[in-house]
Amino acid sequence: MHRPDADTSLIQSAHDEVARWHAGQTRRSGDPLLTHCIAVAAIVADIGMPPPVICAALLHDIDDSPCPPGHVTERFGQQIADLISAVRTARPSAIPLSALNFHTARTSALQPTREEAVLAIRLADRLHNMRTIAFVPPTRRYRVARETLDVIAPLARAAGLTDVSRELHDLSSAVIQPTSTAAVTTRTLTALTLLLPTPTRARWREEWHAELGTLPTRSTRTRFTLRVLLSTPRLSWTLRRTALRERRW
Amino acid sequence: MGSPRMTLQTQLVLRALLEDPAKERYGLELCELAGLPSGTIYPILARLEQVGWVDSTWEDPAVHEEAGRPRRRFYHITEDGAEHARDALARAYRARKQPLPGWAARPIADGGVS
Repeated sequence: MHRPDADTSLIQSAHDEVARWHAGQTRRSGDPLLTHCIAVAAIVADIGMPPPVICAALLHDIDDSPCPPGHVTERFGQQIADLISAVRTARPSAIPLSALNFHTARTSALQPTREEAVLAIRLADRLHNMRTIAFVPPTRRYRVARETLDVIAPLARAAGLTDVSRELHDLSSAVIQPTSTAAVTTRTLTALTLLLPTPTRARWREEWHAELGTLPTRSTRTRFTLRVLLSTPRLSWTLRRTALRERRW
Repeated sequence: MGSPRMTLQTQLVLRALLEDPAKERYGLELCELAGLPSGTIYPILARLEQVGWVDSTWEDPAVHEEAGRPRRRFYHITEDGAEHARDALARAYRARKQPLPGWAARPIADGGVS
């Protein structure tokens, strides 16, 4: 886990517990839930968190398993149990940005504060969920992506986790603008709006992108874009004509 | 404000909008209804909006977020627009029915040709 000096036995026993209690539980993708716990712990380790935080990351979904309450406290102590419950109850929008700076926390040998540990696990959880968002139904997918883009990615950036922030941003943008795969048509439409009067550009860009999103195939999207291309001079003329007339009167 | 040029395409769009005047429709939906190729309708809609025959609004956020897609621009015909559009369509229809000058059908006198 990239930390040769880490207390591997603590992490090993957390892994064993997670494997035991999450046995048989699966994610929407069909993968065992255990894969998510390990991925989140690996991200937390990459951020530079110490072994107790990596443990809490492994165990962050343990309350969704048949594991009896109190068992984690018994095995791993009050501190880790508290951290797990703080991760579950924390509201990302309520985390104060000023208190965080992972960059300095990492370079100095200081332990992360409780807020930093909670945020690290929440960010790692969201990052892995965004990586596997394709398996989530569209309604929820959009909502999660929106929150990631508006709240979580800025939070990661403010905390100095540039790579995590960038990945969160890219993954959620891809959900919100699903046509970004058809990058050429999208870019063409955006470029076309430059022919229109400035105050009207944003409206037509957004309208055309929404229309593009309803078209099922690449060829229909291309045809749509070409026809918009052909009709844009007329649209531009229509929009400018009134502006000119208004100025003259 | 003026009024739009009643080209055949404009007439088709107006007819599509009049089909159910209370219903909000997005551009591609109207294209389909009017039988026009997708993407060609926006200059017409912009013109109709300018003269006040058509009004447009953004889709309710609750609806498009629920569906997980970007918001659509919805169009509907205004009351004023519906009135003008019906008039204009009727006039355009009459104009088409009128024969070209010099080709007026002459009534054939009874037993004129034998």
